[in-house]
Amino acid sequence: MSIFNKNFIAAGMAGVFVAGMAASAMSADIRVGITMRMISENGQRYGQMVMDEIDMINESGGINGNMLKATLMNDECKSDKGVANAIKLINQQKVHILIGSTCSSVSLPIVDITEKAGVPQIIPHSTNDKITKKGSAWVFRVPVSGRYYAGVNAKYVGENIGKKIAYLCAADAASQNDCDAMQSQMKSQHGADPAYVAQVQEKEVDFRTHMQKIKSAGVDGIMIAALAETMARALTQSYEAGIPASVRRIGSSSASNSPVPSIAGDAAKGVFFAAAYAAADSRPIARLFNEMVKKRYGVNSPDHDFSQAYDLVRITEIALKNADLKLDDENLAADRTAIRDAIANVKDYNGLASGPISFCAAATPQCRDGNRTAVLIAYTKGGKDYKTEVLARVTMPIDFGL
Amino acid sequence: MPLLETVDLSKSFGGLRAISNLNINIEAGSIHGLIGPNGSGKSTFFNLVTGVYQPDPGSKIIFNGHDITKSASHDIGALGIARTFQLLRLFSEMTVLQNLMVGYHTHVPYGFMSTIFNNSAVVKKDAETKSEMMELLELIGMADYADMPASELSGGQRRLVALGRAMAMRPKLLMLDEPAAGLSPVNVDNLLSIVMALKQRFGLTVLIVEHILKVVMETCDTVTVLDYGEKIGEGSPDAVKDDHAVIEAYLGQEMDDDEVRKAFNS
Amino acid sequence: MTAIYSIFGRISETIEKLAAIHRLLPWILAFALLLPLPQILSALFNDYYIYLANKICIFILLSVGLNIVKGFCGQVTVGHVGLYAIGAVSSALISLHFGWSFWLAFPIGILAAGLAGIVVGLPSVRLEGAYLALATLGLGESVRIMIAVTPLFGSSTGLLSIPAPTIGSFTFDSYTNYYYLVLAAAMIGIYLSFSILRSATGRAFMAVREDTVAAAVHGVNVTKYKLLAFVISALYAGAAGGLFAHMPPGYIHHNNFTIIEMVTLLLMIVLGGIGHIWGGIIGAIIVTIIYDQTLEFYFYQPLLFGLTMVLIVIFMPRGIGGMIDRYLATKKFIASQEEKSNAAS
Repeated sequence: MSIFNKNFIAAGMAGVFVAGMAASAMSADIRVGITMRMISENGQRYGQMVMDEIDMINESGGINGNMLKATLMNDECKSDKGVANAIKLINQQKVHILIGSTCSSVSLPIVDITEKAGVPQIIPHSTNDKITKKGSAWVFRVPVSGRYYAGVNAKYVGENIGKKIAYLCAADAASQNDCDAMQSQMKSQHGADPAYVAQVQEKEVDFRTHMQKIKSAGVDGIMIAALAETMARALTQSYEAGIPASVRRIGSSSASNSPVPSIAGDAAKGVFFAAAYAAADSRPIARLFNEMVKKRYGVNSPDHDFSQAYDLVRITEIALKNADLKLDDENLAADRTAIRDAIANVKDYNGLASGPISFCAAATPQCRDGNRTAVLIAYTKGGKDYKTEVLARVTMPIDFGL
Repeated sequence: MPLLETVDLSKSFGGLRAISNLNINIEAGSIHGLIGPNGSGKSTFFNLVTGVYQPDPGSKIIFNGHDITKSASHDIGALGIARTFQLLRLFSEMTVLQNLMVGYHTHVPYGFMSTIFNNSAVVKKDAETKSEMMELLELIGMADYADMPASELSGGQRRLVALGRAMAMRPKLLMLDEPAAGLSPVNVDNLLSIVMALKQRFGLTVLIVEHILKVVMETCDTVTVLDYGEKIGEGSPDAVKDDHAVIEAYLGQEMDDDEVRKAFNS
Repeated sequence: MTAIYSIFGRISETIEKLAAIHRLLPWILAFALLLPLPQILSALFNDYYIYLANKICIFILLSVGLNIVKGFCGQVTVGHVGLYAIGAVSSALISLHFGWSFWLAFPIGILAAGLAGIVVGLPSVRLEGAYLALATLGLGESVRIMIAVTPLFGSSTGLLSIPAPTIGSFTFDSYTNYYYLVLAAAMIGIYLSFSILRSATGRAFMAVREDTVAAAVHGVNVTKYKLLAFVISALYAGAAGGLFAHMPPGYIHHNNFTIIEMVTLLLMIVLGGIGHIWGGIIGAIIVTIIYDQTLEFYFYQPLLFGLTMVLIVIFMPRGIGGMIDRYLATKKFIASQEEKSNAAS
């Protein structure tokens, strides 16, 4: 309720905006601008987590005695809003560092803004590989890049399951994408052609014919690329058709959605997907993190967007501690450069993420895609109270997908 | 040759025949009255002539030598038929002057492209049109209200604007749909004198549909009587007045001569 | 309140006086006055406001166009953002794929939007009101979905690195430079809207809005003018789209063209004055500024905007423009009556 009142009073004061325009914080604070997608429940929690972690840094004495002053803005996952936020944070708030954004479609245009203004940008969630391919010296990515994700499933499947794979691909854009990527990766990494390919409608309900054909083809695995409900139905029917459990079922990116295990039930067992963090991770740091998220935000088994928000603040903290900052008006540009260079110097940060995060100075994807290890998460139990386990960690070669 | 001629004009709505095989000739320069009880097809006749409704197959409407049976409303308007509406249908959010200028639409001497590429000529032409419309407003006594939105005028003033808007079309035939409805006797006389003045000045042919019989009887050269979509009488006001079929249809009962005279003059 | 009104009265008098000298004089003067705005904004506030000025100019084009079809011609359209998207995507694609200059891609984008405007306008021949709104909504949304699912149009990644326009060695790659371009475009757009709306075409639009039957009987080709209004507004949307696409950072994505953007546009013309010649301009400026200043209270923004819309529709249906007009017209009428009674006595 206190948040409500505070915002309400502030909203009333919005009319007096001239004061707001003129205000520019010039004290010896390190100013941090954040633009994120603050619309869904979890979206707001990710933003809140960044803010809370920054508050905690301040409570424990700040960075070398300087306080962090954070401004959080909502971009609603819209590029024009994100661009406006970035320009406002950079020119009005005069931030030293910009955190954002959740969506690739927002981070992409902001890269040009931060590059031109000379402000370090550190990305919490966006995976689109084009973000770092733009060649900006000011951008850093905490999550696993899309170019690595594209090869993770194929690498694991080719090395651990087999090369004779059948594909069932639904007609929606995301599933088509996943299906095509998997096929081309199986070809390029292992020289394997598809054993069977079936195109189905986006909301198809009957897969029995396809399943019989797949059964008689005697494959090592079936890739089911479809939206959650469709995937769940296809999984169930694959068992009804009598395809044994020894043939591994490979999910597309929607396999992480909870309808898959809850609708498919037992048929979901063994289905796996790639992510940057597994709540089933057994390391102590992960156990503590899970507890903390549950206590603070009431979320059981946090997804990798929580862990990436957390890792991002830690990396920022390390960089800011190592940067030599003057924190006055004349040295704003110099301080921004110093922070950029300090982030580029972060090596082998071992946090919650599936693998170590390292950056380097060159303005290349190799230097700026910090994390190249994905974790494969498999369902061990279906139904409403589904359970997952870490199936494997897959580290991709640094040049992969370039 | 009549200015407006309809041949076997018919119109059915579903099974209902609103107008059947109507043959009416309106002579150029005359004032023609159209009377009949409610639902006799007077307004339908207006709507057929002005293209608001499409007549049934086999009908023919000829205006000034042009077959306008299947023409669209805006083409009919361009040929020189102007009309008013029983419910006026003014452009109420537009000013009085703008209402008249829409009436002038078919005579606008420039096209859309010149509004973009030769705007100074457009501004000049519009200024000329404006002064012409102001003259017309003077004639109908509404010049003071030129810049008022039509919605803010009184009922009588609105009727005058509707008349002015129709006159702005520079019509050959002016069709008035119950122009005196809802007006006080003083205003009725005022309106009629304005109509007569306009007719004189512009050499109009006028067709009046009217419920107030006095208006028709006093002003018209010829009167056509409709009932159930059919013509049941036609002639000079005096001849129609004595036609027993007309009296029966119109007044619904037999009357002696005195009573009839009373009914027609009140 | 009267003070504000009389300021507007002064302004309109001054404009008339200037126009009497030469009809382009007020425009040239206004352009000259607005030209140093980036430097003023930068000195008074900061560079963010230059970006905002760019955005206002683009929104002016959009809302002035929407006001022509919705406000003046009375055709309820919710497909305007779809046309905006077509202008943006066509212009961006032509520059990206064929490497053509902005000065070629931009007009082609405008024309593409204009053609699409005919398609969006066609339902208006048969449909009215809510049905027309639904039909145009469907068309607008299908444009967005088309962009969202077609890799060529950007799909989920969007179109990036759309080149900034150049003239010789001058590049419109900063918001200050780009402002000169969008300001010129907005001024031309406003000027043309005034030319069109104050001519027989504008009066025909209004007649169609007020009463299609009466308009037709008075010689107005209703179908032709409905389609013309749709096409003109589509050309405006296409221009706005092209300018948005090439504006730094040269990025467009299908979620820039959603129903939320459409509602914001509607709010602009409702607040500024539906069917008022200044409506779109006043609305675009006020809504963009208020929206920006309340950005930090994003939880309450939809509430604030929705409430504003309802209150305006109830208490000032003709918007700010309508209120000013009414004041000026009444004042003029009273003055003329006084003059008359003075002359009589």
